[in-house]
Formats: sequence, C-alpha cells, structure tokens
Amino acid sequence: MSKLLDFFKRFRKHKDELSAEAVEELRAAFKARYHNFKLLLAANNKALEIMSEMEQALRGSRPFGMSFVRANSTAVGVNVFRIVKNLDELAPNKYEALYERFRHIQEQINTVLSQRTAPKGEHLVLPFSKIDKNLADQTGSKMANVGELYNHLNLRVPLGFVITAQAYRRFFEHNDLQHEIDRRLQSTEAENLDELYALSADIQQLIIRSKVPEDLQQAILEEYAELEKVHGEGVKVSMRSSALGEDAADTSFAGQYRSELNVSSDYLIESYREIVASKYSLQAISYRQNRGILDEDISMCVGCMVMVDAVAGGVTYSRNPLNIRDDSVIINSVWGLPKSVVDGSVAPDEFVVSRQEPLTIQERHVKPKHQRFVCYPDEGVCRLEETGERSDLPSLDDGQIVELARIALRLEAYYGTSQDVEWAIDQRGAIFILQCRPLKQMEAMSGRQRGTGVEIAPEAVLVKGGSTASSGVAVGSIFVVRKNSDALSFPAGGVLVAAQALPRWAALLSRASAVITEQGSVAGHLANVAREFGVPALFGLDGATELLPQGAEVTVDADGLCVYRGRIEELLVQTEPRKNLMEGSPVHEVLKEVSQHIIPLYLLDPDSTDFRPRSCRTLHDITRFCHEKSVKEMFNFGKEHHFSERASKQLWCDVPMQWWFINLDDGFKEDVPGKFVQLDSIVSIPVLALWEGINAIPWEGPPPVDTRGFMSVLLEASANPALDPSMPSHYTNRNYFMISKNFCSLSSRFGFHFSTIETLVGDRPSENYISFQFKGGAADYNRRLRRAQFLASILEEFGFRVEIKEDGVFARLEGYDEDFMKEKLRILGYLLMHTRQLDMIMANESAYNHHRCKMLADIGSILDRAISHGNECHAS
Amino acid sequence: MDAFRVLLVDDEEEFLETLVKRLTKRKLTVAGRNNAQDAIAFLKENPVDVVVLDVKMPGMDGLEALREIKRCNPMVEVIMLTGHANMEVAIQGMELGAFDYLMKPMDIDELLYKLQDAFQKKQLRERGAEPAGPKSYS
Repeated sequence: MSKLLDFFKRFRKHKDELSAEAVEELRAAFKARYHNFKLLLAANNKALEIMSEMEQALRGSRPFGMSFVRANSTAVGVNVFRIVKNLDELAPNKYEALYERFRHIQEQINTVLSQRTAPKGEHLVLPFSKIDKNLADQTGSKMANVGELYNHLNLRVPLGFVITAQAYRRFFEHNDLQHEIDRRLQSTEAENLDELYALSADIQQLIIRSKVPEDLQQAILEEYAELEKVHGEGVKVSMRSSALGEDAADTSFAGQYRSELNVSSDYLIESYREIVASKYSLQAISYRQNRGILDEDISMCVGCMVMVDAVAGGVTYSRNPLNIRDDSVIINSVWGLPKSVVDGSVAPDEFVVSRQEPLTIQERHVKPKHQRFVCYPDEGVCRLEETGERSDLPSLDDGQIVELARIALRLEAYYGTSQDVEWAIDQRGAIFILQCRPLKQMEAMSGRQRGTGVEIAPEAVLVKGGSTASSGVAVGSIFVVRKNSDALSFPAGGVLVAAQALPRWAALLSRASAVITEQGSVAGHLANVAREFGVPALFGLDGATELLPQGAEVTVDADGLCVYRGRIEELLVQTEPRKNLMEGSPVHEVLKEVSQHIIPLYLLDPDSTDFRPRSCRTLHDITRFCHEKSVKEMFNFGKEHHFSERASKQLWCDVPMQWWFINLDDGFKEDVPGKFVQLDSIVSIPVLALWEGINAIPWEGPPPVDTRGFMSVLLEASANPALDPSMPSHYTNRNYFMISKNFCSLSSRFGFHFSTIETLVGDRPSENYISFQFKGGAADYNRRLRRAQFLASILEEFGFRVEIKEDGVFARLEGYDEDFMKEKLRILGYLLMHTRQLDMIMANESAYNHHRCKMLADIGSILDRAISHGNECHAS
Repeated sequence: MDAFRVLLVDDEEEFLETLVKRLTKRKLTVAGRNNAQDAIAFLKENPVDVVVLDVKMPGMDGLEALREIKRCNPMVEVIMLTGHANMEVAIQGMELGAFDYLMKPMDIDELLYKLQDAFQKKQLRERGAEPAGPKSYS
C-alpha cells in the first residue's frame, strides 16, 4: 500500500494527463482502499459488539464459564488487531506505534488469563493414615476431613485411601483430556439445555473410554491390597468423589457427583473413571457455569473406603439447617444404607436432640419407610421394598440417637462450626462416620414473618402443606418432570414439580422460578442448591404431581406452605431479588481483570492533543482511535489525489444543495463528471433511505423561541468559540456523505448541531449497523441535556441502544436485515432535520411532551403506521 | 460473487465433511484435507484462493502450517479456525498474515462472508501486483 502512495504522488505532478490505464489503476486503488476500510469497519463493529457482551456478562445476569472469557478476549483481540492492520494499510506506517500499544495490552491480558497454576503434590494415592486437613489440596476437602476424623479425633471411620489430585492430572494428561474437553465446552451454547445434555454425555463417554495409565492402576491396586490385608480378600469398598477447588465460592455442591457403593476389586478402575467423569454430569456443568467456577480449577479426587454393610444410616445436623436460631441437633435416619436420606428418595425418621447436658431426645418423627438400600453380596446395592411392620419402626434406638448427637457436637466443637455428618451403623451396632462437612444454616423466613399482613382469598389456594426447603415466593408455569428427558424441555421460569427431590433436578434450578416435590428432605442436595440459588422450594407436598395442572400459572409461597392459582401480586411484592451468583466467583474475577484492559474508554476527545496511539490504554481506546483516523484518512485521501471521479460532488436538486458526496466505491450509478451530482445518480441504499426521511415532512422553520431560549442561544454562542459555526472543523461547515452502495458516513452540521451517522446496509444482516451521534447545540446546558434525553427517548422507542454522555447522544443498532435497517434510517433522517433547534424550546415539560407527540405522529406517518405513544399524547 | 476455490483443513473428519458439503451447496469449489502435510501438497498441485486452517491438529502445528502455506503461496488468503481459543496463537497467526481467526462453533454464513471478504481482498491485491501495478512506478 505504501507503494500506492508513491504512485499517487507521482501522478499529482501530471494529473491532467491521466491515461485510460492510469484511471483504471486509480479506480483499482480506490477499490482496494475501500475494501480495507470496509474490513476495518466490520472488525470495529465486531469488537464493539463483543465488548458490550462482556460488559453484560460482568453485570452477572447470566452464567458464563472460562471458555466464554477466553473466547471473547481472543475474539476482541483478533478484531482489534485487524483494525490496526487495516488502518496501517490505509495509511502505511503512519500509526505504526499502535502495534506496540496493542502488544503491550495483549500481554497484560495474557498474564491475567494464564496466571492460574495447578496445585502441587506428588502422590498418586494416599492412605487415610497419612491424611489430615493440611492435605486438602491433594485429596479434596471431603477426604481431608475423613483423614482428620481418623487420625486426630479417633472416630470410627472405615479404612481407606484417596486417589489424589495428582492422579487426576496424571490421568488427564496421559489422554490429553483437558484440551479436548475445553474444545467441546467452547463449541456448545451454554444456554441450550439439549446441547448441554449431549455435551455432558459426550465428555463423560470420552473420559470413561480413556485409559488409566499403568502406574496409576498399579498404585490403586496396591493400596487396595493393603485393605485386603486387614479386611480379607475381595473386601468391597465405596468410592466417593472428593472434588478439589470448589470451596472458593462458598458453595454447597458437595455430593452432586457420583458415588459408587459396594464396589468389588474387579471394578475399581472402571468406577474410578466413572466418578471422575461425573465432574461433567449435566448438573455439575451447569452448576459450575451458574456459580462461575473454572472447569480446570476442579480436580476430582476419589476416596475409596471399606464398605459398611449398614443396618441403618443417615445424616446428623449439629444444628437445625433450616433455622439459624435453633441449636437442636437433628438426626435423619433410614433403614439400610444412608443413600436414601442423601438423595431425598425416602422421607426419613427425624429425631431432635437438645444440645444441653444431659442430651435429651425432644422430638421423634417416625415415618413409614417403604424402601431401603442394601448391599448385594457380590457387588452393588439394591433397593428393597420394605413390607410388614418394620417399615414403621424407628430406625435408631435411643442410645444410638444420643451417641450420634454427641458425635455431631464433638465435631462441631472441633471444627468450630456447625456440621453435617453422614454415618452408617453396621450389623454389630457400631457407628461409622462416613464423612462430615460444614453445615450451611438457612436464615429462617428470610426476614418475612409467616402469615402477616397479606390476606388471600381461600379459593385461590391450589395445594397446601409440605415444608419450606428454600424460602421465598415466585410465580411461574407448572412443569412436571417425571423422567430424565422431561428436563430437556423445561421452560425458563417454570415451576419445577417432581415426585422426588433428586439431585439431578439441580441442573434445572438456574432456570426454574420455584421447586415443588412430593418427597424429599429439606436438608438434601436439591434443597441446598435451591437455597444457594435463592429459588423458593416447597418439599413434601403430597400429590403435587397430580394436583398441579401442567402449564398452569401459579404463585408458590414456600414460607406460607401454599401454592396459589394465578399470580398473587400481594405476595410477590415481598420477594427479594435473586442473587447475582457470578459476582465474586473466580470466573467473574478473571473477566473483571481482563476487562480492565479491554472495555474502558479513555480516549474521548478526538480534538485533544492526547488523542494519539501512545495514549491508548485499552483495546477500546485503540478501536476508537483507529475508527476516527480511518474515516479521516478515507476523507482526505480523495481530496489529496485530485481524482475527479472520487472528488466530492455537490448535490443538485433544482438548485445546488448544502450536501456534498464522496463516492468511495459504487455509490453512484455511473461516473459523474464535473462538480455536481443529481439525486438519481445516487444508488447508495442507506443514503436513499436517509434522504426519504429527511424530506418526508417539511421542516416548519425554526420553532418559535421564547425570549429566554433565544437569549440563551446568543449567550452560549458568544461564550463558547467551539460552537461558532464559522470555526474550521474536520469537514468544515458542510454536510458530507461518504458513500458506497451499502455504506454511508454522514457528517452534518446544522447551525450549532453536529451529528454523524455511519451505517452499512446490505445483504449480510449480521454486518449491518447504524451508529448515530448527536452533539453540540447553542442553548444552555440544561436545555441541551433535555434535548439529548428527548432524542434518546425517541431513539429507544425504535429499538436503538442509546447512551447519553453529557449533552451528547450516542445510539447504535445492528444485526437486522435490509428493510428493517432502511426503516430506521428513514426515522434518523427525519430526526436529523427536525431536532436541529429543539434545544431552544426545551424549556419546560409541556413543550417537551408536545414535541414528542408531534414527532412520534410524524414518524408514524413516515412508516405508514400508528405508533403507540402513551397517554400524554392523547391529552394534548 | 464469482465462484472461488477453497481448501478446508481440519482433522475432525465429520466436521470437515459437513463443511465441504455445506460450502459446496453455496456454490464454492471446495476441497478438504485432514492434515497440514496433505494440504500443503494439495496446494502445490491445485490453485486455491482461500484456505481455512484448523490451528490445532496432530502432526504439523497450525502456525507452522500457516507459515509454510504463506511461504509457498504468498497470494493465498488463510483463515484460521479453532476450537481452542488462544489469544497468543491467534495474534501470532494474524502477524504471520492470516486474514482472520474464527472460533468454533461458527455460523456457516459468517464463515461464508469471511471467505468472500478474503477472496475479494486477494483479488484486489493481485490486481495491485500486476506488472502494471505500483511496483513499476517506484
């Protein structure tokens, strides 16, 4: 391109003797320039679009993962680099300093993106005897706790070992899994549940099919052999996930991963792979997305412990999980393995024990327990239907209840915080602790007192009962899920209704407005996640799946234990806004840091001496700088080269008009010799649309000005030389169109008002855009401000994204088809003509409304349809 | 726009096959190769306007392939395509003269637009580089 410049300079010496061949070359050169310019604009738009997407994500209204951050940072980087490169081709070497600035900013972004380091540790497996809480970054906190119980509290814990985070890395690296998984995560629309489901299945299959390296297999089998030495050959084990890295965001996710019970030695390796794979279960992927947890931050450690063939099992809460003010110990217990308490499939017995010595049992709620899980002799567990009177008997005796309460209190004292303890009782009556973790208590009623104030007609009640699993009120349409596949069609904002509170429904919680189940523990996983997400949940509502009609709109009052027909506004006004779960999460933090180098705009004023490459601090600055310069370069180039075809032409409509046109490429129907161009020679789509709007309604001349308005104009004009229309500006005091068939950049100046419109309208909807700026004005600041707001409100009405900065209006619209864009340009054309001196009549509210109504009516007539414009217009 | 010639290089067979089909339906002359070596060999025998190159393939690294393609066929435009967003690789590729860097999943129309833009750029550059072009004046 620099050679082109030389070429043109040579031409200037003998510009009058252009040969036909040289003309052809000039045309080609202009064409190449224009193409460059167009590519620059496309990259410019793409960059701005991505920045605005990142900005939205920062506000945290929707979940995103690290792949979002990485993909968008990269995309914005690539597009800004293209902008710089294109500008460099338009004006060779003139803005070369931009490359250095770009590289500098890029390095800063890279530093943020790559600063996360993997935890260390060299052991592939570690026996419980060598583990305590200090090894949490090798074993995951769940197993570190088990080690702590075993080694420092001398509680009865089954013998076992942990397959560590190092083993997980070894397994992943051996198969190069992380790269492949990242690739698949990037390729999936996070918000589409079907796709997410397929993705989850794919990744899990990928992991299950991968080979566990020999040394790791060896290490696992050797540790298992140690267990056999104590418990006999072929001893069965349970294998549990112990994820590493989720503690950061104060999350309650533990337990959503897979556990395998009663595993025989033949399936140790297979079970290991399956548990690791469960890192990518649907609920785990969507949970991480919703909580902003980095995929690569999570290492799956797996605990392997001798299986307890349980007579009874359950969970103890050292305090009431549902009421922060209740310090009683609560025990949930079932026959057989504790599995059915944890997954919420059976309503368990509940025992309440006061914590004061001597510990006394204060409440007993013995439930009919029709199912229990037991170990098969060879491998695995099975569900037995419990018949006969045993199902109604308490699953614990008083001595066991008190002993369990005592253990829970001891753990609470040791850890200094309330605990959630899972246990099992073997055939001889010995209590084994399987795991414990901090308990998150729920703020009772979330500040709202049950049954106060609001009176609701009893006939609105659909169903009553159950217990509060997560506090709050919400409205939505009933969606009953019966089988797994129902989840795929779950509508955003629906009320999730299920028979059991199964952990797998947790994947739907980010989309559900409320949850209702017939069975399930309010201390189970689904309840935990519902509370974490702030989704109201009502559990134990008998017959809910039958009584609540699919698709019906209901209001769920989880605290009032009631489901109402329709929308009950009185209840809804008391709801608290949903939490922004991304805020403060690791992914959100990374995005925030990266954004600092991308989004802020420091280069605001193109006329400032600071408007130069060296001052660009962010990618947005570079974008802004290049855009400004590219338009200028395009404009000046034509002027410098005295190429008649590309020189500016004045519009001739019966008389010469104050409009000048520069044809960048194919904006004229044919070559236009001479100084003037007729309207019918112009074939630029956006120009013609704008022109229609400009001429649609005749301007009635300056609006009548009240004396103060006129005075205000005079005063400002004399005080602010920049507003003096006789001052030189970029395009002098004229209206310039730079055009091609699909493009138009208009800089216009009417009196004191300066506005620019830049637009591309063609057959690629995704590249179409309109950008509009309106500034200046001679009246006092308040009136100009009011005018900016006035204009913004009208533009917003027609779908523009509008920003007001001081008295300037910046509006954008993009991504629609040609007809739609043309319609918007007609509106802009109209506004361009009719808002010119509005600031003078912007003195009061009634003038404001009057003009708003008039303009909306005008626009309606241009678009040939009625525009609804609120009540204020009918009154006037 | 005239039909022009595109070479797709991607080691994911299924993806490659579908893309060849879809672009052929859009009136382009499309060939596909599943590794960089074959692609470079193909380029030696067949004229191509735009190459779409997966950046991460087993065997020859994508950037290396890009360098090699640009060395042997300086006029051909290359669009990089990747499932692994990586800013460093992206910018290196752009510095090596890639026309653009796209990330999967991408819209087929988006890809088509990029291909058209790249082809137009190539045409304009070729015109500029004809013997009667600027070189003879400098």
